[in-house]
Amino acid sequence: MIRLEHLTYTYPGAASPALSNISLDLPDGQLILLIGPSGAGKSTLLRCLNGLAPHFSGGAISGVVRVNGYDPVAATPRVLSQHVGFVFQDPEAQFVTDRVEDEIAFALENAAMAPAAMRVRVEETLDLLDLTPLRDRPLKQLSGGERQRVAIAAALALRPSILVLDEPTSQLDPKSAEDVLNALVRLNHDLGLTVILAEHRLERVLPYVDSIIYLPDDGSPVIFDDARAVMKQVELTPPLVTVGKRLGWQPLPLTIKEGLRFSRPWLTEQRQRDSVRPRHRHRFVRTGAPYLQARRVKVRYGAQEVLRGVDLEVWPGEIVVLMGRNGAGKTTLLRSLVGLVRPQAGDIYVNGRPNKEREVADICRQVGYLPQDPNTLLFAESVGKELEVTLRNHGVERGNWRLEISDQETEQFSDSVSGVNLQSPITQAPAFPITSLLKRLNLLDKADAYPRDLSVGERQRVALAAITVTQPGALLLDEPTRGLDYAAKRTLEQLLHGWRNDGMAILVVTHDVELAAAIADRVILMSQGEIIAEGEPSEVMATSPLFAPQIAKLFPETGWLTADDVSGVK
Amino acid sequence: MNDSLHAQGARFRLPRPLHPLAWASWLAAIVMLLTLTRNPLYLGMTLGAIALVRWRWVSAADEAEQVLSLSPWRFGLIVVTTAAIFNMAMVRVGMTVIFTLPAWIPLFGGAWTLEALLYGALNGLALTGLFAGFTVINRVVPVRALLRLIPRAFYPVAVVISIAVTFAPTTLQQIQQIREAQAVRGHRLRGVRSWLPLAVPLLEGGLERSLQLAEAMVARGFASGSERTERWPQLLVLAGFATVVVGWLLQLVWKQPMWGGGLLVVGAATLLFGLWRAGRHHPHTVYRPEVWRTRDWLVTAGALLVMAAYLLPVFDRNTIFYYPYPALSWPGFDWRIGMAMLGLLTPALG
Repeated sequence: MIRLEHLTYTYPGAASPALSNISLDLPDGQLILLIGPSGAGKSTLLRCLNGLAPHFSGGAISGVVRVNGYDPVAATPRVLSQHVGFVFQDPEAQFVTDRVEDEIAFALENAAMAPAAMRVRVEETLDLLDLTPLRDRPLKQLSGGERQRVAIAAALALRPSILVLDEPTSQLDPKSAEDVLNALVRLNHDLGLTVILAEHRLERVLPYVDSIIYLPDDGSPVIFDDARAVMKQVELTPPLVTVGKRLGWQPLPLTIKEGLRFSRPWLTEQRQRDSVRPRHRHRFVRTGAPYLQARRVKVRYGAQEVLRGVDLEVWPGEIVVLMGRNGAGKTTLLRSLVGLVRPQAGDIYVNGRPNKEREVADICRQVGYLPQDPNTLLFAESVGKELEVTLRNHGVERGNWRLEISDQETEQFSDSVSGVNLQSPITQAPAFPITSLLKRLNLLDKADAYPRDLSVGERQRVALAAITVTQPGALLLDEPTRGLDYAAKRTLEQLLHGWRNDGMAILVVTHDVELAAAIADRVILMSQGEIIAEGEPSEVMATSPLFAPQIAKLFPETGWLTADDVSGVK
Repeated sequence: MNDSLHAQGARFRLPRPLHPLAWASWLAAIVMLLTLTRNPLYLGMTLGAIALVRWRWVSAADEAEQVLSLSPWRFGLIVVTTAAIFNMAMVRVGMTVIFTLPAWIPLFGGAWTLEALLYGALNGLALTGLFAGFTVINRVVPVRALLRLIPRAFYPVAVVISIAVTFAPTTLQQIQQIREAQAVRGHRLRGVRSWLPLAVPLLEGGLERSLQLAEAMVARGFASGSERTERWPQLLVLAGFATVVVGWLLQLVWKQPMWGGGLLVVGAATLLFGLWRAGRHHPHTVYRPEVWRTRDWLVTAGALLVMAAYLLPVFDRNTIFYYPYPALSWPGFDWRIGMAMLGLLTPALG
């Protein structure tokens, strides 16, 4: 039983409160989803439940918090650890030991539980999350999903009645994420454990959720209600719910099964009226040569063949999405395109020039590469400085940084992206307009901000700015939607479309099916170091059980992939 | 890849684990032997024993996992050769001259002798043995098990060390990631100043990770200090330690064996009592504590036997201190010491 009354919390040194005047009454035994735009204070709210805020973070708290009758502020997190288990975003960052069993025993050792009782408890906890086969394994040998399950087990060792999880799947691939979510559902169903879960991947969790807390970031009151009722009121909805709302389906479907009940008759009716139109396709003509080209590329790490003769071409003006299970060789392919991995056999050409004997730094002037964790890119003290550093690295003279430019030059900028002139020496390079790039990325008002203080989405855009300021002809992105909410994802999609239309060659590696559906002009599927399928997104993705987006499942044989394809019918 | 490694590991059945203290006594015997003796016969026996124990305990899977670290074979090859050459170049003593370089060459001029070569190589062998012994311990005793030997009063310290042990590899991984990310931004490493862009994300990232970990530990009920702290057990520990030092000095420097010995005993007792009291204020228990089995007695007895044979003046101790100068001679061998050295093989049993 959790009760919040007029909870207001301000971080130390912050001008405005992170949470203001929040009142909630959360019943026992439910699987509760916490959603809201990033920056609305979801993590902070969760940390108030076990006293981490204010005990760990400092700051000022007012109002009433009651968890199982305890006041977390007065009782300290140590006492609350018996009632609230807490699981964090990054499974690696929360491990104290290096073995599965020891990790689970850690909390029990601290609570000075008698060794005999502890033995039993660890055994039970292992069973609870199906970890018995992994009990002796070192944590570093486990997959992401297994690690997160260990983290959940460790949080449950003290047998709390409430389990709180802060975006536990945002660092995981879809398969691992599903394992973790299934484990949570089972705990909730079998033990009646109250589960409170902050999560961005609504399309995955929605079927299992009892109720939803919506935490807005604009000062409007927090909503807590039955899942369907909340989905009706908010904008952050998965494609299925978006379509359901647009077509006025009642009651609003939350699962594909529920949705098919509406979509089948609707589709039949549309077909009779002959008003089913194919999805709008971005028309693009391949001109000239491919910007990125890989020929029979082979990479092996030790005895393991990661890439077995991959051929790949990416033309200017197209977005290619590369999908496949973990370990299929996707990231290795990206890394070999920029020279971070040197293939044992085969050739790679960037804009016609072979990669061999070129430095990574040199290749990256022509190919922007965004690694999985954009934080590793950022180090300067302001957003503007980040861009300047890249330019200086590439040896562009200060005189060529045009900080203030006219609209006319903005147009020139977009032109220059499409036709990067590589013959011209660096000193004669076109002006590098920092301001227009920041404007394009919607970061102009953040130019003086410290990059690491920004939100996940903003930080990613800063990293993007830092790698595209040299106006590369190609852009490679590795899992760009990790930790992004729907709004940030939408912004990213628009950005990529803009660059694509300007003539950039874009290659995206992602597990995010909905992102692929929204942006791909061409989809490539990889498995075991080989390309196994390639073509139109609607052909490649629609039938695959693992990679079909919600809309493709809802409207089979239409070739539709996103909610916007469906409304095109009207 | 992991799966195939585990399959290999399963085929190769490892013995049941030994208590970390038993391993510690084995290692102590090895270290003592290798520092004391240069007798090639004893050295060879020790190396053989280590190799056998290593073969028994370190599986092929473990071996393959260590791609980066040095194998004892390669270490031995490098160290024995360099030690032999270096010793030959430095030492001009010895009767058996292999060749003579003109005297006007600085450092290398003079007679290069077989005796110097042999002695250098023996030193190299001893070093190789030490290295191999530590790699065995490193592979067979988990860090957690060693940490459990730390007294309860130092529990927070033990936790910090255990975290550091897992933290270091992650940090190395991160350095690699950041280096690549900076190369992607056109960064080239030149001079000291160009390392700055690597340091900032590394420090920030490290700080963020430590804060996250600290938060996770608090959420799981870890408290570094206990609620009601008493000062006096800590003072007791400190006083005990000081008394031990003074007693030791009295005995060694001021030649007061009676007073010194007395203070040593009193100090040690105070120290232990203080530790015990302080430990009671860190209530915590140990999951699956290591069990002391008959085999652990066996291993410890074996190690003690070897140490006794070397240190006590019962057997012919002159055979231990082999010295090839001025002319090569056959090393002596006391078969009773040789028999005692079989005690080193006890971990390979069972």
